[in-house]
Amino acid sequence: MLRYFLSRLLRAVLTIVAVVTFAFVVLRLSGDPALLIMSVDAPPEAVEAFRAAWGLDRPVWEQYLRYFVQVAQGNLGQSMRDGRPALTVVMERVPETLALTLPAFAMKLLIGIPAGIYAALNRNRLADRLTMVISVAGFTVPSFVLALILVLIFAVNLGWLPSGGAESWRHAILPVITLGLSGAAILARFTRSAMLEVLGQPYIRAASAKGLPWRRVVTDHALPNAAIPTVTIIGFMVGSLVAGAVVVESVFSWPGVGRLLVVAVSNRDLAIVQTILLLVAMTMVCANLIVDMLYGWIDPRLRTARAAGG
Amino acid sequence: MRLTRRAALTATAAISLPRFAIAQGDQRPSITVAVQKISNSNTFETPREQSNVGYRVYSNYAETLIESAWRDQLKPVPGLATAWRRIDDRTVEFDLREGVRFHDGTVMTAEDVAFSFGPRLFGAETLGPRQPPSEVIATGRRTFPAIEGMEIVRPGVVRFVNKTPDVTLEGRIQQNIGIVVSRRAFEAAPNWLAWGRAPIGTGPYRIAGFRPDVELVLEAHDEYWGGRPPARRIRFLEVPEVASRMNGLLSGEFDFACDIPPDQIATIERNRRYEVLGSPINNIRILAFDKTHPVLADARVRRAMTHAIDRTAIVEALWSGRTRVPKGLQLEFYGPMFVEGWDNPRFDPDEARRLLREVGYRGDPIPYRLLNNYYTNQVSNAQIMVEMWKAVGLNVEIQMVENWNQIQDRATPRGIRDWSNTSLFNDPVSGLVRGMGPRGELQLQGEWTNEAFNIEVTVLETSLDRARRRAAFRRMLEIIEREDPGYLVLHQAATFTAKRRDIRWSASHGWAMDFRADNLAFGA
Repeated sequence: MLRYFLSRLLRAVLTIVAVVTFAFVVLRLSGDPALLIMSVDAPPEAVEAFRAAWGLDRPVWEQYLRYFVQVAQGNLGQSMRDGRPALTVVMERVPETLALTLPAFAMKLLIGIPAGIYAALNRNRLADRLTMVISVAGFTVPSFVLALILVLIFAVNLGWLPSGGAESWRHAILPVITLGLSGAAILARFTRSAMLEVLGQPYIRAASAKGLPWRRVVTDHALPNAAIPTVTIIGFMVGSLVAGAVVVESVFSWPGVGRLLVVAVSNRDLAIVQTILLLVAMTMVCANLIVDMLYGWIDPRLRTARAAGG
Repeated sequence: MRLTRRAALTATAAISLPRFAIAQGDQRPSITVAVQKISNSNTFETPREQSNVGYRVYSNYAETLIESAWRDQLKPVPGLATAWRRIDDRTVEFDLREGVRFHDGTVMTAEDVAFSFGPRLFGAETLGPRQPPSEVIATGRRTFPAIEGMEIVRPGVVRFVNKTPDVTLEGRIQQNIGIVVSRRAFEAAPNWLAWGRAPIGTGPYRIAGFRPDVELVLEAHDEYWGGRPPARRIRFLEVPEVASRMNGLLSGEFDFACDIPPDQIATIERNRRYEVLGSPINNIRILAFDKTHPVLADARVRRAMTHAIDRTAIVEALWSGRTRVPKGLQLEFYGPMFVEGWDNPRFDPDEARRLLREVGYRGDPIPYRLLNNYYTNQVSNAQIMVEMWKAVGLNVEIQMVENWNQIQDRATPRGIRDWSNTSLFNDPVSGLVRGMGPRGELQLQGEWTNEAFNIEVTVLETSLDRARRRAAFRRMLEIIEREDPGYLVLHQAATFTAKRRDIRWSASHGWAMDFRADNLAFGA
């Protein structure tokens, strides 16, 4: 078991190094932060002074080495836009994003999983088809389109909710619904597929044949077995809690990590982008580890196999 | 004296009640202005935030000695100086306005002015953690390359002294880099960033709060020398998406929505409660040539390109006629320096074809590096122009790029690119020389240079003889717009702001949004 977790940890570290390197190369080779941050109207002398101050006049490989050593020492650098520590700037925004993504995550689970189960248990009936039509619509309509439709209905025409901003809980309603609906649609489809596959298995027929009430067949036999693919998707969703609302935050002018990422990428504010990517990578890695542990808990066969392997 | 609880309560009430009454009595409305961007640098110190978005907000919290008349062609008008006069060709003397108070309550003095044009811009060892960043100092040196200093003649009178003769000193001082700030407040700031985020000026509103990339809150500065500000609070809210700005306006959450594209004006004005204001501003959209490109090396090809473009048709099609084509790279507010009778190369496809025949042009591609609508209507404009060039036989190939670095990248041949030129004060030095002179971007980037042009630049920058300067400017236009084109003038830029119709407010002729008492009123 220990060897298993150590190998996962090593893979996680390599993933993070790859992410940091890739982001550095792409960002630095596709634009000069000095020109982007200082604006094209700034005097050339000011742009040069900025480059010198931030070491952007040095070779790219040297900049990378410096950055890497710095990160290895636990220093994520400073924002080139305003000189503040990148971690401080990013962490200021994390609660704002979580204020959207956590309720949206709960909404995805509370709507998506029951809807998927309900559709599977009513396969090919009107309820199933209706659920799937709504699910496909939620899955395929881009989130910025859904967001604008919701704003037009509930803010512009009905005047019930604000169209954007982050002043109160009312401002969070439309972005949460936008995020929640599309995620719920995905979960509903996956849950339905998983349930349908499980419901067709011989052990379900055997449980029914034993005379178990259908409700218990579903809760005790079908649901645990259908949980593995669903948990995998939920794992991805947990991983995107920190920066999974880029588009929605832009449309609703929500000052979260997603908007910060957009601004930082367009300004090539490397330290900020890298800090966000590190945060996302670490969240993903943690989510994957948790999912792996859940697999073992849900499926005893995996637990036994891992124990046998070490 | 023994202080009883009753006496203490009475004293507290005596101190607090009148203030409470004032607060209760302040019935002035607050307004919310939705903008695409509040500040590029997340600071409001003008030498650091040299951008159009910085220009939009600065005049509300800070002022210059010579102000720009925002709604009257940006003419120089008294600001923190009530009068100014030339002492000699290197010196301008200013009479400071009396009784001007900074947002921290202190009275503006000559020392504050000297500090604003001294350590604030150029740094000093004594500033410690408040030492301005290197780019601030570079901008200061660029704007005032030969400054000797701001001398205090006597209380209320200061002199800007230059090392060399310069007829444009007043214009340079008029730029927003020349705001006057409180020396005491600067020295009390813990570091430069803290200062840069909330500089203490003399404007009608003070910076009360700033959340980077989110909002800037200004509150009325009731001791403002120009009268009590009409709004209690102005909130600039950053809303990056144009659809969201429009929705917020139409749902009543915003009072103003800035940066409205021309094709959305009709949509907003369908609702009778809102209107869109805007007009051409002191910025001209141009197209820059790189004459080191093998095809563009021959000036006749560039001349053909200038003759192939129907600017009026573009303005009508893309801007619904809401902007105009200027008479070359100059604006009427140059006053006596405006070259009457000068105009852009006429739209003449036959002349373009003739020039191309003369050169023997065989359809070699000319790269056109293009950003995705950095400028309003940029891509549509480019596509129209490519078709116009095609009609005369020119093969211009659009190459979409992401940023200015890629525009200026010299690894592959550059051809033409979009650009704009702002005249920050009423002299061609602020526009043509700043952009195209020997220290301007066009020449620094190695796209274009011309020896005869640069000789005239020296005359324009140093001569004190107006007739000679006018002749030099005219000659420069002849060289760079006709003989050896360095750019092609398209049209004046324009900004459009949507607002509630019941708010009385006028858009300025520059980037600035002016919310002073003479330009903001509420109610029908």
